[in-house]
Amino acid sequence: MAAKDRNARDSVQRGASGKKIRFADRWQGYKAHHRDTVRLSLRKLLSEPLQTLMTVAVIAIALALPSALYLTVENIDQLGSHFESSAQITVYVKKGAKPQAVDGLRAKLDAMSGVDSLSYISAKQALLEFKALSGFGAALRDLEENPLPAVFLVQPAVSEPIDMGQIKRLMSKIESYALVDDVQIDMAWLQRLHSLTEMGQKVVVALGAALGLGVLLVIGNTIRLSIQSRRDEIIVIKLVGGTNAYVRRPFLYTGMLLGIFGALTAAIMLYASLLWMSSSVANLAELYQSQYRLQGLGMLGFLGLLGLGGLFGLGGAWIAVSKHLRDIEPK
Amino acid sequence: MICFDNLSKRYPGGFEALKNVSFEMDAGEMAFLTGHSGAGKSTLLKMLMLMERPTSGNLLINGKNLNRLSNSQIPIYRRQVGVVFQNHQLLLDRTVFDNVALPLQVSGYPSSEIGRRVRAALDGVGLLEKEQQKPIALSGGEQQRVGIARAVVHKPRILLADEPTGNLDPELSSEIMALFRRFQNVGVTVLIATHDITLINRMQLRIMHLEEGELTDDGAGYGR
Repeated sequence: MAAKDRNARDSVQRGASGKKIRFADRWQGYKAHHRDTVRLSLRKLLSEPLQTLMTVAVIAIALALPSALYLTVENIDQLGSHFESSAQITVYVKKGAKPQAVDGLRAKLDAMSGVDSLSYISAKQALLEFKALSGFGAALRDLEENPLPAVFLVQPAVSEPIDMGQIKRLMSKIESYALVDDVQIDMAWLQRLHSLTEMGQKVVVALGAALGLGVLLVIGNTIRLSIQSRRDEIIVIKLVGGTNAYVRRPFLYTGMLLGIFGALTAAIMLYASLLWMSSSVANLAELYQSQYRLQGLGMLGFLGLLGLGGLFGLGGAWIAVSKHLRDIEPK
Repeated sequence: MICFDNLSKRYPGGFEALKNVSFEMDAGEMAFLTGHSGAGKSTLLKMLMLMERPTSGNLLINGKNLNRLSNSQIPIYRRQVGVVFQNHQLLLDRTVFDNVALPLQVSGYPSSEIGRRVRAALDGVGLLEKEQQKPIALSGGEQQRVGIARAVVHKPRILLADEPTGNLDPELSSEIMALFRRFQNVGVTVLIATHDITLINRMQLRIMHLEEGELTDDGAGYGR
């Protein structure tokens, strides 16, 4: 050991020799340095848990808000297309129609071209269903006769995109039958829904941009504070020949980690609220006899959110460090 | 090795810290820079570290004009310069080892190489057994020696020191000076700013004197 030390000292005293570093060694050192920097950044964040937690929470909320809105719009859009493909025509049968006549109507509707499928709800069935689902059961018991008509639910054979003219022709043909009281289809609300979701998408973009800027500023400010507490360190690193990239690196990693943690928290918040809402949405869907379920972020959306958070963190940190580095350049 | 050519530095407020300073130092030469505080000693060292750029005139290191270095080339230049500060500028949240390792880390040395060189440098200043301590636990003289180890660990060709014995007693001061002499003996160019007259008079070395930004005595030829 002593001999080794003496050798080492000799090499120091020989002065400027062995300055060249092999490329492979340099690459190894570079990789190790990145690993150490990430570890150090993480440890620094964890050493101030409260400060870190607050920053992460602010980032998470700023990311969760536009994401939640995005999911809402996506779900509504999904809901629209869900109904679109099942554009049902409701055919109200005149009250007091005889069962044989109703059977006749069913046969005629069934035979019509442009009708995909057909189902019949008798007045009695309709009343039972209404009692069960509406909660007005007690009030209905007082009625002397059933106020509800019997209906046929006609599923037109449609192709995408829906040809409204074709459906209208089918409707007027059905309406011409004597036994039919009224024919209804509600497509107008679908069109309204469409323009609403389109507007919603624009709001998502605007809100996302504003809150993204917010995330950038929050991370930039956090990094700025951490730069201030490490001023001496930066100066010393610069004086012993550290490049700007070297100075920047730990702060960039810190910013990126904050962004990713924020995005992760936002994803958890979204998932939790989805879980919280999904049972009531399922109930609601059941009321409409629909298999509709809420759509979450999905794997791609989750990764996208993480990437976005990391990118915002990187950007905010970059801006903060670059400003500081410019301030200490020699003049 | 070092060549100041009619160099002046004026600060934005109008204060002229250096006025037409010209001198040369050979490789392996050791010299002192004296003068009252405010005479421009620190500014001159800052020029050599490229912490400041001259208002006019040139500074040549090994024949290369520092004015021509862009800001992105500064780090590479600084890696051949070692600096010892009066207040040692050690990072208090890192161990002695990590402080000394810093110049090697920023240059991208592999960790095995770093360990070997840091221990060699610490051994050179007699602090090998304190490598895992924090600087705060060391005495003033020891802290200064850690600063010297950090300044020489990457084997610089130029070693600068700004009041390295500023707050040390005479005995420690001469120890530190002996250390600098050892580096000079292996070919390092050493420039020390100080106002410790009694110490430098004992050492029989070149003394340059600054007065209000002007080099009144460049002491060339003395003590060679």
